[in-house]
Amino acid sequence: MHVAVGERLLELSRATGAPSAIVVGTGKNVGKTVAMRAMYEAAVARGLRPGITSIGRDGEAADVGDAQSKPRLFLRAGTIVATARDVLPRSPATEILELSRLTTAAGALVFGRVRADAFYELVGPPTASGLREAIDGILRFTPYAIVDGAIDRIAALAGGTDAVVVACGASASPTMDEAVEDVRALVGRLCVRRYDEREPYLRIEGALTPSRAAECIASKESRQIVVTDPTQIALTGRAALHAMARLRLRCERELRVVAITVASLGRDRAFEPRAFAHEVSKATSLPVFDVYSAEEAA
Amino acid sequence: MNARGLVDDVTAQAIDLRWLRDALAPASPYGARRYERIGPFVPGEESLAQTRAQRIAAIAAACGEQRLDAMREIFRNVADASSAIARASMGDLLSDANLLELQRFFDACMRLDGLSSGVAELPPAVDDAVRSCARELELGRAGKFGFYLADAFDESLARARAALASAQAEYDAVTGRASAKLAAQLGREISGSEFIVMRADLAGSLPTGVRVVREAPTYLLCEIDADEAMLAALERRDAFAGAVAAAEEAVRARLTSIVQKHAAALDAAADRFGDADVLVAAARFTLAHRCVPATIVEEPRLEFVDGRFIPLALELEKEGRNFTPISVALHDVCVLTGPNMGGKSVCLRICGEIVLCAAFGIPVPASAATTGLFAEIAWLGVGSEVQGGLLSSFAREVVRLRDVLERGRPQLFVLMDEFARTTTPLEGRALLVAMLRRFAERRACGLSATHLAAVAEAAGVRHFAVRGLRGIPEKPKTSDLAAALETLAASMDYTIEEVTADSAAGSDAIALAALLGLDDALIEEAYVSLE
Repeated sequence: MHVAVGERLLELSRATGAPSAIVVGTGKNVGKTVAMRAMYEAAVARGLRPGITSIGRDGEAADVGDAQSKPRLFLRAGTIVATARDVLPRSPATEILELSRLTTAAGALVFGRVRADAFYELVGPPTASGLREAIDGILRFTPYAIVDGAIDRIAALAGGTDAVVVACGASASPTMDEAVEDVRALVGRLCVRRYDEREPYLRIEGALTPSRAAECIASKESRQIVVTDPTQIALTGRAALHAMARLRLRCERELRVVAITVASLGRDRAFEPRAFAHEVSKATSLPVFDVYSAEEAA
Repeated sequence: MNARGLVDDVTAQAIDLRWLRDALAPASPYGARRYERIGPFVPGEESLAQTRAQRIAAIAAACGEQRLDAMREIFRNVADASSAIARASMGDLLSDANLLELQRFFDACMRLDGLSSGVAELPPAVDDAVRSCARELELGRAGKFGFYLADAFDESLARARAALASAQAEYDAVTGRASAKLAAQLGREISGSEFIVMRADLAGSLPTGVRVVREAPTYLLCEIDADEAMLAALERRDAFAGAVAAAEEAVRARLTSIVQKHAAALDAAADRFGDADVLVAAARFTLAHRCVPATIVEEPRLEFVDGRFIPLALELEKEGRNFTPISVALHDVCVLTGPNMGGKSVCLRICGEIVLCAAFGIPVPASAATTGLFAEIAWLGVGSEVQGGLLSSFAREVVRLRDVLERGRPQLFVLMDEFARTTTPLEGRALLVAMLRRFAERRACGLSATHLAAVAEAAGVRHFAVRGLRGIPEKPKTSDLAAALETLAASMDYTIEEVTADSAAGSDAIALAALLGLDDALIEEAYVSLE
């Protein structure tokens, strides 16, 4: 079904009432920036003048890690941007709103207002706490922020009230089945429900590590296993699925995962787009969108 | 605040130099740079030290807490424009972030001058150079705190930007039309540079204006193929973008040259701003801890009334208890005796803290004080073990003493906390007596706290003693340590007075052990043994 993907993602995110949306991914080159850009353009079209940033480095012409070409971010006048001062385009000039003490890989972070449409590179703070500060900073200048969450940096979601969009794609997994399993595991973790105080529970201080989870499974723990928030579940892929199947994982503070985007094209492989989106939809029960084909999975 | 040379690491730790350094730390990067360079005044600079302390006290009195806190807020939030000034002075073109840093700095200078107006001890930070540069940058003020290379800087900038905006709109219109046409033909939205067309959805061939990037069995990865109109619009937009870039660089170059012309004066303004930050931090410290400027004299002596060791006073305050100030008068090396927990070590720390503050021209934590400037403050005895290594506690003390004697600084202030306590009392006492004689010969000033008896008389030095317990305090009913300490503090007379008799001073150790919770039978046996 053809849809305006950016608008749908924006709509779902804003329906949560969250002032910000973060796109996180199952790996590199899975279409996070493409999804973020689609949301951004939809927000601009609605006259929202959003703020935009990234955890770490993104938006450059080629990925610094693997030199693969990356989508560039063409920002419209009025957009609030939080990026490193050393990568701000020299021209057209940006209105510098605030000099932050946060640092990035390319110098101090600055908050700016785009005054003339131009391409920007986003280099945000590399830490979860830094990103949270950057989002708070953006929200001082505009009521809505969109964030490129980089490679599976879900720690950045802790302590926030963001709507979360999960991006998955062919680049991150060798087969479609594995890609579906990976996104199922990530979404399963992020969507862990709030615990029921009336039922017995075991509260975990800090992270639920693989060894702690293994202990609980071995002892046939039947109580709810409660972490502060889903980012504290330090299990990925099959280990996460295994633990979720055998334990009643719960959290004190839920995250708000609203949708998934799929990128069926990878550098080394491609999946059949509709089949991939369909399988992801079946495995996660969330709205799934293919930004490239402008379709929502049935 | 660099105390190297005046104190070593052991002494610094014993008198908690780190706390003092933090408590006096300025809030801005300008102040931090000045603060790092501040060293102690040395013997011969007495009037300079005293003048500085009086200046700080005058700032504290003139401004009061509220005004000083408002100034601290300015220092805390100011942007660091030093690298912008340095870059401009070297002829590097400044960035817009640099220009904002400069504007924020100028704003801070002006706000500071507003707050310090009428305080003669704080010279104005703003001068002609600051005023002139601030005036030039004013056109770029955007909102309350931002900076933008605004059209008002240059007419050609406004013209170039208007042309670019129009070219961008034209390009957007051309691409938008092409995109909308394709979207209508394909029956879907087109977003981004690349998009997928499913073969199953395609009735016939792809519309014109679409280029296939990659083919797969079930889909085609495509992008919009720019036509001549689009390429021409893009070319026009790029040309106008180039013109904007050139106009913006011209404005930056002009602003940079103005900053470059005033670079030396701006550096001086930054230094004045940093100095003010350091002075305001010291004035705030003075008010917070009720400090007074000491009278600085040429002789090696120390005399104070109601001295306090601030870190301990603050710790007690947190527990709802009071620090009992003490008074001391030294012009030589003296012995200090008294009971356990009677405040001997604290007395040494107060002496160290006051001498250290005075050396940096900082008002001291006492109600009145007179002191000389010293070339070295040395801590010996308990505390030397922080050095670690393979040596025993005794060996470390001896090695430190050897080093202090070898350095032979002429004006030495020495604080000895139970020196040689880890060897036999007989030989320990002999060493202590010999050491005190040596320090006395060298006309050093200081205090030696000890439990050893008849040291002062044997060394031929004066003897001070803590008065000690007013009686044996009643043991608290609970085993609560805090209650025991409170009882002890209430019973202890911390007054230090010069004594003539050099008898073995009682340590009240058994009474204190009882108070601190040792069982009655053990205490009883200790008293029997003592008799």
